[in-house]
Amino acid sequence: MNTRLEFDAELLRRYDRPGPRYTSYPSAPQFSPRFTDADFRRQAARSNQEPIPRDLSLYVHVPFCFSPCFYCGCNRIITRDLRRGAPYAERLVREAEMVAPLFDRDRDVVQLHFGGGTPNFLEPQALAGLVASLGRFFHFSTAATRDFSIELDPRSVRDGDIAAYAAMGFNRASFGVQDFDRAVQLAINREQSIEETLRAIDACRAHGFRSVNVDLIYGLPRQTLAGFLHTLDTIVLARPDRVAVYGYAHMPEKFKAQRQIDERELPDAAERLALLQVAIERLTAAGYCYIGLDHFALPGDDLSLALEAGSLQRNFMGYTTHAESDLIGLGASSISHVGDSYSQNCRDLPPWESAVDQGRLPVARGLMLDDDDVLRAQVIQQLMCRGLIDRAQIETRFGIDFDSYFAESMARLLPLIADGLIAFDGSRIVATSRGRLMLRIIAMCFDRYLATPSVAETQPRHSRAL
Amino acid sequence: MARGARCGARASAMIRPRAASGPIADDGDAFRFCSTCAFSAACLAQGFDKSKLEELHMLVAHVGPYEEGAHIFREGDPFEAIAAVRAGTVKTYVNDSEGREQVLGFFLPGEVIGLNAISHARYPCNAVALDSVMLCRFSFPNIAALATRVPGLQQHLFRLLSEDIGKAALLAGNFTADERMAAFIVAMSRRHAARGFSATRFRLSMTRTDIANYLRLASESVSRGFSRLQDAGLLHVDRREIEITDPGKLEALARNILRE
Repeated sequence: MNTRLEFDAELLRRYDRPGPRYTSYPSAPQFSPRFTDADFRRQAARSNQEPIPRDLSLYVHVPFCFSPCFYCGCNRIITRDLRRGAPYAERLVREAEMVAPLFDRDRDVVQLHFGGGTPNFLEPQALAGLVASLGRFFHFSTAATRDFSIELDPRSVRDGDIAAYAAMGFNRASFGVQDFDRAVQLAINREQSIEETLRAIDACRAHGFRSVNVDLIYGLPRQTLAGFLHTLDTIVLARPDRVAVYGYAHMPEKFKAQRQIDERELPDAAERLALLQVAIERLTAAGYCYIGLDHFALPGDDLSLALEAGSLQRNFMGYTTHAESDLIGLGASSISHVGDSYSQNCRDLPPWESAVDQGRLPVARGLMLDDDDVLRAQVIQQLMCRGLIDRAQIETRFGIDFDSYFAESMARLLPLIADGLIAFDGSRIVATSRGRLMLRIIAMCFDRYLATPSVAETQPRHSRAL
Repeated sequence: MARGARCGARASAMIRPRAASGPIADDGDAFRFCSTCAFSAACLAQGFDKSKLEELHMLVAHVGPYEEGAHIFREGDPFEAIAAVRAGTVKTYVNDSEGREQVLGFFLPGEVIGLNAISHARYPCNAVALDSVMLCRFSFPNIAALATRVPGLQQHLFRLLSEDIGKAALLAGNFTADERMAAFIVAMSRRHAARGFSATRFRLSMTRTDIANYLRLASESVSRGFSRLQDAGLLHVDRREIEITDPGKLEALARNILRE
């Protein structure tokens, strides 16, 4: 793929509009409560009956956090009461015990991800018990390529924790950093020292973790170019294998914690773009490859290799090399992708708890993909993961004439072509070096559910594209 | 079901994103046979077009759709008719004395079910729809009567019968798992091709449990077999869709069983 990036502030500003992140297509707002646990069971049974049933990925959501970071839009529960961890972990075990038998035993778990919230809210002992139980109910792959990852808050990582995670089988860690600038940290209620962060990263290396990821955010209140540059320089020196640079999406009407943020302190559109630009420049200058969307990785990292080989995938956990698997979400609000279906567990803790306590699958809503959804999902997947759409390949695989099937989408692409965001290379539609930062914008042209402007424009359900 | 009540299926087949998700026949009309008709060639060769057959009161009834899992007939039901599959896939099976299912075969569009009942008064097996199935039903007494007047039709019936017997013999014998797998896929490919569908890209509507049962292999062995064939570059599997990428090698592997 075209790995160059061209930063055109004027264009980026013009195309900055709300849009889905396409960790799934159709995206989550399309999920419906008509999809029930019976549908989930049916999909699981069907997926077992494919000629080569897919491997499995497990996502485990731990919703608890010790304190609220004001920028956060995740589903989480703020508590300092550590005792809430153990009963939650016990229910996760019960949920896994219900779900696992729905999947045949010859389907290996090749990816396990703990996200949150703050997964290390759980005491190492509770976490170890949980992982061991999952390993009993499911069959964990023993291949070196398996990814067992955990999101960690460096502020609550204690001595010995990382060694314990390694012993449980984790080989990837992801740390939230956002910005080391003290003024920013105070404005977002997240005070985190450089020292504790680097210590945690070093501990992962010392205990043989294959990969470390660091999350940064641009567009935060009080953020300055100088401060963010300092953060970037510090991170580049620590040399994590992967870096994600997310744009802060200010949607206080939707996320209560964000109401704590003083809007007057937010950088304006031009400043946001300047922050993004320095991030891209610093990371690429330091040798990081641009993977797509908000992600960068060192050249030897699995993501960079997959990008080069054209085998990169994208699922609810972001970019991955294992998305050709069925994804099972455990815990409140977690999302599953099994066969041609998406489903999501109850978002709030009480209904999730009572479903598990009553021995019911806590499925709250979901979606069955129809043939058109499957086709568009494939087009968007190619775009997000390879920066191109291979029309000939899509035509052979789906038995359609691309340009007539997607006549409406092709018309929507016209202004993007005029602006030089995409170009034609034989049967391929390719994102140019200017367009690669706007993959979401290009993908939106193929999103059937955005066709009605009422959804796309009046209600900002999605974060801004940049 | 009355003929003509099939427009919905055709319209949705126009947007047919998946390779062979529902190969559906061109349904024909009062004068033309359906494109998948199991008998049209034999009849036409003898100068019987569809309007003449109607005169002979050869009532051909389009029936269905049968939804996934619905039984078309069950073992012991009185035998009245044979049926050609117009769309979807039908599985036939019996239950052995211990109640274990034994898969006898799979029937694709253009193929005829119920032939093994001809010498009995009752169906000797069960037939179940694996996806949405449409049938073309022939009263057996009528078609047998017609066959006496149309020699080509009689020969055609005999050929269908012997093919049906041959299919069962296919998998008896001492063959490796990979040979069985290859023979199964090559046979599926040829049968799709025979009805004008793609020989290299089709969807398997049967479960891996059914394939395993039919090939007398364990379910896990079927998946490992598909994986080996995929790793060797002979085919590519995406969920239920099969793409044959090296037909020559696959045929070679199947040769011992298919013996042509």
